[in-house]
Amino acid sequence: MDVDLFLRFLLNGIGNGAVYGAMALALVLIFRTTGLLNLAQGEMALFSTYMGWGLTATGMTIFGLQVLPGGLPVGLAIVVSVLISAVLGAAIERFLIRPVHGPDKSPLNVLIVMLGLFLGLNALAQLAFSDDAEPMPKPWPSKASPGSPTGSNRFWQVGDLRIQASIVAMVVMLAVVCLLLYVLFQRTKVGLKLRAVASNPESARLVGINSSRMLMLGWAMAAGLGALAGCFVAAERTSVNPGLMAVVLVYASAAAALGGFDSPVGAVVGGMIVAIAESMTVGYVKALSTIELVVPFGLILLVLLVRPTGLFGKRTVERV
Amino acid sequence: MSRRNLRIVVGVLVAAALLYAPYYFQPAMNQTLSRAIYFAVAAMGLNLLTGFNGQVSIGHGAFFGVGAFTTAILMNDHGWSFELTIPMAALVAAALGVGVGIPALRVKGLYLALVTLGLAVLFPRVGQKFVEGQGGVAIIRPKRSGFDSLLTFLENDQWHYVESLLIAAVLFLGAWNLSRSRIGRAMVAVRDQEVAASTVGVHLARVKVGAFALSAAYAGVAGSLSVMVDRAADATDPIVTFRNSIEFLVAVVIGGTATITGPAVGALILILLRRETDGLIEGKEMLSPAIFGGALIAMVYVLPGGVVGGLRKLADRLLPLRDDPTAPVAAAALEPEAVAAAEVSASTSDLHHQGEP
Amino acid sequence: MKRNRTRGLLALLAVLALLAGACSSRDDDGGGESTGGGEGGEGSEEVADAYGVEDCISDPTAEIEGDTLKLVSSYPQSGLTGAFAEIARGWATRFDEANADGGVDFAGTTVQIEYEDKDDEYNPQKSAANIEELVGANGDGAFAVFSVVGTANNISIRDFLDELCVPDVFAATGSVAWGNPEYPWLIGSTLSPYTLEAQAFADYLKENQPDAKVAMLRQSDEFGTTYEEGFKQAIEGTDIELVAIEEYAVGSDQVASQVTALAASGADAFFNGGTLLACPNALTAKDAEGWEATTWVSGTCISKTLMGLAGAAGDDVLSLTNLKDPLNPEYAEDPAMTDFFAAVEEYQPEFKGRELDLDNAIIAYGYAQADLFIQALEAAESPSRLGLMESIKNLDGVTTPLAHEGITFTTGDGDAYMGESFVLVQYDAAAAHFEEISDVIDFEGQTADLTPEELITA
Repeated sequence: MDVDLFLRFLLNGIGNGAVYGAMALALVLIFRTTGLLNLAQGEMALFSTYMGWGLTATGMTIFGLQVLPGGLPVGLAIVVSVLISAVLGAAIERFLIRPVHGPDKSPLNVLIVMLGLFLGLNALAQLAFSDDAEPMPKPWPSKASPGSPTGSNRFWQVGDLRIQASIVAMVVMLAVVCLLLYVLFQRTKVGLKLRAVASNPESARLVGINSSRMLMLGWAMAAGLGALAGCFVAAERTSVNPGLMAVVLVYASAAAALGGFDSPVGAVVGGMIVAIAESMTVGYVKALSTIELVVPFGLILLVLLVRPTGLFGKRTVERV
Repeated sequence: MSRRNLRIVVGVLVAAALLYAPYYFQPAMNQTLSRAIYFAVAAMGLNLLTGFNGQVSIGHGAFFGVGAFTTAILMNDHGWSFELTIPMAALVAAALGVGVGIPALRVKGLYLALVTLGLAVLFPRVGQKFVEGQGGVAIIRPKRSGFDSLLTFLENDQWHYVESLLIAAVLFLGAWNLSRSRIGRAMVAVRDQEVAASTVGVHLARVKVGAFALSAAYAGVAGSLSVMVDRAADATDPIVTFRNSIEFLVAVVIGGTATITGPAVGALILILLRRETDGLIEGKEMLSPAIFGGALIAMVYVLPGGVVGGLRKLADRLLPLRDDPTAPVAAAALEPEAVAAAEVSASTSDLHHQGEP
Repeated sequence: MKRNRTRGLLALLAVLALLAGACSSRDDDGGGESTGGGEGGEGSEEVADAYGVEDCISDPTAEIEGDTLKLVSSYPQSGLTGAFAEIARGWATRFDEANADGGVDFAGTTVQIEYEDKDDEYNPQKSAANIEELVGANGDGAFAVFSVVGTANNISIRDFLDELCVPDVFAATGSVAWGNPEYPWLIGSTLSPYTLEAQAFADYLKENQPDAKVAMLRQSDEFGTTYEEGFKQAIEGTDIELVAIEEYAVGSDQVASQVTALAASGADAFFNGGTLLACPNALTAKDAEGWEATTWVSGTCISKTLMGLAGAAGDDVLSLTNLKDPLNPEYAEDPAMTDFFAAVEEYQPEFKGRELDLDNAIIAYGYAQADLFIQALEAAESPSRLGLMESIKNLDGVTTPLAHEGITFTTGDGDAYMGESFVLVQYDAAAAHFEEISDVIDFEGQTADLTPEELITA
């Protein structure tokens, strides 16, 4: 076997895996605090990504009123987008999800609200920013090249292998996110409260934790993380377009399921497994070309048959 | 007026309206209504699984698609007449349902939803890879004459409506009977208290896999009917299977989960809502999905029990049960789905709160 | 409690209102345009046979009544492919212009061209529903169907229109299936058939890189199959070798791993058969791999948006076209181009609320199709559907101002392909437009021979 080629497929997989992992983390953050699989996560991230692009381009005007500034450098644009998205995420939880969500309410209604968001946010992103594929500037070092609005990729040559700045950047992004989350959950009071709400909402309430604020925080973090992941993946694929995040969400959900919906570690590992399995399938299994999605879902099925809570999941599914 | 009489009056009025509709409307509207009917059948199938048995699927578009392709291929390549292909579509879809239902014994709640999502995303890709349709695209359109009206006094659009309606009526009656039967109660018991149900002798695997198969069969029949109404089985659009899947679920929930009439009402609202929001504003086509999404959210807010649940509440207030001292008992006997509906909100919470015992 | 009841009632009323709004009485909707009545065409029996006139549900020899000719169309106006709506801005401009000039002389009858369209989001089933609604079960709703976008979308309406004998003209893709003699009422546009793209690239390689090893990225549908089979046929008997083929799923734009595999094949030429975002993404991936290869991009990829996304990664790629590119400064002063710009600004500056970008080449494409359609109307022998179809199917070296110098469009017996002549173009990333690099290459009448038959009659 050609080792060099194998490594190239592996690198492709790792790049995508970082994105899937980050989105899966966002799903896990919401799942842990609310027990919901946020189907609208992808489109929330799409909206944020278009916002990130908009901040670097023309900003946003509603009825002639400049609501968001344009022309920001991409790094700043992403930070602003992450912050605004976090606020919007909290608002979605507070005003759209909470009224239909609760132990005595049908979870199917929450599902419908999320599907409504899924349809609506995609359309709103197009209305508010652009309905076209737009070039997303790269938040990592790139070299200017004629005709490329966003410059072309830098890479490091290691032997015969090219290591792309984009892949390094995405892995670093994911590592930083993981580190921040670790510090937050393990080293801060807020993190303790979040964990308490996640593991036992009733007792958390009894010891005086404002669990509704924790829910908002969970959504805010997920939305911010989605914005970050979205902007990175858009930059890696050179453009943000209305269909960008739907596919990413499918893979991210698969990653979260594989790792176990309540496990942040599982999300990251699951993301890597799903993405690497995908690129290896494209590379080596011709019979599955164009239906390489079979592989991640086959994997999930296999893992779930052996471990019904995913690789790293803890919660029991049985309820008496 | 008692609840029972109200039900009869409303039932007769609705039936009359359904039968009169094809003579009243233009062909385009009849086609829309026929579409609502097959949508209702698929939603009913999903309702059997999700509403009554508590297994969430966001992949029923795949069963629907399998049914559609079964019919289209049998008609086109094997010269079957349309009506004969319907049971075959049901069978093939049911077989696939069993295939998904068996792993579903181990894979539950969100994880199951995820696996079915995979089914929805994969279906069009598999279709595109393996279906050789006309013009080389993954679309099969049987000849128009294959669906000609068998009743000479009906135009084709009217015939399609009537045939769909008849089949849907049979399937809805079947679902109604099932929900009142021992098996139906077993399905609900498994949904609400799986462990408890198994201790009182409910065969878990049989009920759950059976529910999956039956549910898939309904979706398959719906797909089959869609070939008559839209005259195509189509796997060219990569997102349409997923969209169908979520719209079936939407129809169930906005109509009324675990009710018999809910999926039909939900399907009708959904189809009309989509028709009305499509191209609502010239040049701002993008607004229609936004409005559609907003409308869905609004409906859940206003009617958390679905339209049927809302109507029931309304009837409860306008016609208090004390009007008729026997009514609570009679109503419970007559409307197992009403009881089920009352239970559903509390019970389906295990779909998301998989907390410790 | 009380509030809940009011809410419930409101919701119920809303539902009823929705129902009432959706309903329209079966009696108050008259049929649209009528084309019935005429006493029949004078075309020869042979022609009538070729078009299956005997079996038509509507009478295609009936002469047009009144002084409006109604065209209907269906194309994506929202969603991922919503940008295709710009094609319609082009043709709508040309029709408005013709109407303002007093209408079109259609075999002795002066007609105004009226058009109506619906959004299908690129979904073939929706196209079918749209066209069936617009045309009507008896064909009373429209005279012809014009510029429906997408191969599957046209396939999904062709049986319906064929049984009715309603023309479906200027189908906006380069599928070779538009030459299928079983569907005489369907014809494509000036887009070059996909097999000719494959042939053109093969010929280019024969001349410049005769021992090329070619890797191909293709879509997993008939579009990809046509490239693959066409290219295989084109390199038969040459030293060119097709060493690797990778497929990607329709609607997907993730092609990086496919390109990695292609790059590893050692190929020194790359046929990028990706369309929409898969095309620039494949070019970017090729650049990231550091893969040096003479590259061809699909004719569906030469748009400003797509190549703009590829940027420098798209430098020097080859493709073909037969229309003038509005981005090319060479045409900045060209009267055909300035007239066209002026017309768009005058008639359709706000088409469907979309922002106007005159540089978008697909507007020019739409305008050119409409111009050829008008020429076909003027050349028709009888003002009937059959007359129109016969005229479009017997174009004899016509041209249109927006076509390249020397490009002509010819159709005829057994040849339903218009876009058989073209020029090769090469992308200049720094200047952000395609440069023409060849004289007119003419494959007039050869498409059927260069295409495996089963692709045409599929």
